Amino acid sequence: MSLQVIDNATCTFCGCVCDDIQLHYDETRIHKANKACVLGTAWFLNHTVEHKYPDALIDGKKASLDDAIELAATLLHEADMPLVYGMSNTTCEAQKECAALADQLGGLLDSHTSL
Amino acid sequence: MGGKVSCTLGEVKQRADFIVYWGGNPAECHPRHFTKYTLMQKSKFLPRGRKDRTMVLVDIRETKSAKASDIFLQVRPGKDFELITILRALIKDQNVSDEAIADTGLTREVLDDLVQRMKSAKFGCMFFGMGLSMTRGKHMNSAALLTLAAEMNAFTKFVAMPMRGHGNVTGADVMMRWQTGYPFGITFNRGYPRYNPGEFSTVDVLVRGDCDAAFIIGADPGGTMPQPAIDHLKRIPTIVLDPHVTHTSKLARVHITTAPQGIAAPGTAYRMDEVPLPLKPPLKSPYPTDEYVVRRINEAIMAKPFWLPDGSQPQMLTAQV
Repeated sequence: MSLQVIDNATCTFCGCVCDDIQLHYDETRIHKANKACVLGTAWFLNHTVEHKYPDALIDGKKASLDDAIELAATLLHEADMPLVYGMSNTTCEAQKECAALADQLGGLLDSHTSL
Repeated sequence: MGGKVSCTLGEVKQRADFIVYWGGNPAECHPRHFTKYTLMQKSKFLPRGRKDRTMVLVDIRETKSAKASDIFLQVRPGKDFELITILRALIKDQNVSDEAIADTGLTREVLDDLVQRMKSAKFGCMFFGMGLSMTRGKHMNSAALLTLAAEMNAFTKFVAMPMRGHGNVTGADVMMRWQTGYPFGITFNRGYPRYNPGEFSTVDVLVRGDCDAAFIIGADPGGTMPQPAIDHLKRIPTIVLDPHVTHTSKLARVHITTAPQGIAAPGTAYRMDEVPLPLKPPLKSPYPTDEYVVRRINEAIMAKPFWLPDGSQPQMLTAQV
C-alpha cells in the first residue's frame, strides 16, 4: 500500500515548532518524517492510532469518558481553590478553554513556564 | 515579560550577525535552531552565512553546543545575574572591580572583548534557556538579560528571546495574555484575574499546599516537580488530561486520554518567537481532543451553581471565537 504524504507539517515537540516537515503515513502510523530532527522524528513515529490506553481512569480503574468528565467537573466545582496547570503540550484552542475553566472556577491558572 | 525587546526568528535568520546563547544547549534540545535560523543560513545581509556570524555560548559547563560556538564563556554556577549586571556596567564604561569579575569565573580581558564585539555587531540576538531562567535568581535573571538587550540598543540593534522547551508553551503565554492580561501565575479567586509569580505560580502553590484540587493538562508535574509538590498532588483530587498515562496520571483521581496535538488533534501552536502556526494532523485518534474534553468539563461545571452567591457574581465574558 502506498503511503499518503503531508508537506509542510508542523512539529510540536520543542519550541522551534518547525513547519517544514514532510510526513509519510498510512491509517495507523507515521512511517517517515523528512527534515525532522532526532527529537521530532521520535515524536512523530512514536504516536500511533492504537487504542493503547483506556479512554479514562478513575482511581486507577477503567472508566467511561462521560463518567470521568462528570467526576472531574464535580471535584473541581467542590474545591475552594482549584489549580489549572500545564497547557504546554496542547493547542491554543484547548488553552483558551482552560482559561475559561479557571475563570468560572475562580481558581489558579498557570503554565509550564513557572516549572 | 512586558517590555521585552524581541523579533521573529525570520529576522534573526536574515540579519543577526552576533548570536549569544545563555544557559541553553540548542545542539541537543533544539537541534534545528542553528541550521534553520541562527548560524548556517545565508541571506542578503549575511551572504557568507556562518562566516558572517559570531556565536557566543554562556553556560556553566562545556555542552555539545560549545563545539558550534566561536567563544565559550564558562560562568560560575549561580553567577549569571552578577555577570549580566557587570556587562550592563561595562557597556556604559562604568567601573567594575576585579573581585566582582573574578567572582563570575571570567577575566576582564574576555569581558572587554565581548563588550567590544557586542557593540560592533550590526544585529545582536541573545537566546536564553532554562540554565538562566530556572537557576538561582530565576525570573530576575531573565529580567536582567532583557534589560541588557534593551540597553544595548543605545549602541546597536539588540534583541533577546527565550528558548522555549515543550511544544506550545509559548502559546500558553500568548493565550493567557490575551484572555487575562497576564502571561502566567494568575488567580481568579476575587472574580477577576490577578498576577503574582511566587504567590500564584504552581510550584509554590503546591509546595505550600494552597490548592485543594488540580487540573493538569499537557504536562507531567509528577515527573518534573520537587517531591513536596508531588506529595501535595497525591493528597488532593488531581485530574489529568494527557495522550499517555503519565507519572501524574498514576497519582491522580481522574485521568482522561486525549489525542496528541499535531499528530491526531488539529489546532494552532506558537513558535518561540510568538508566530502562530497551524497544525496538520495526519492521523485520526480513537481519543477525543483536549479542546473537546475541557469544553465538556466547562459545560458540566456551568450547569452547577456558581461559586459566588447570587448578586455578587462578576459579569462573565461570553466565549469569543
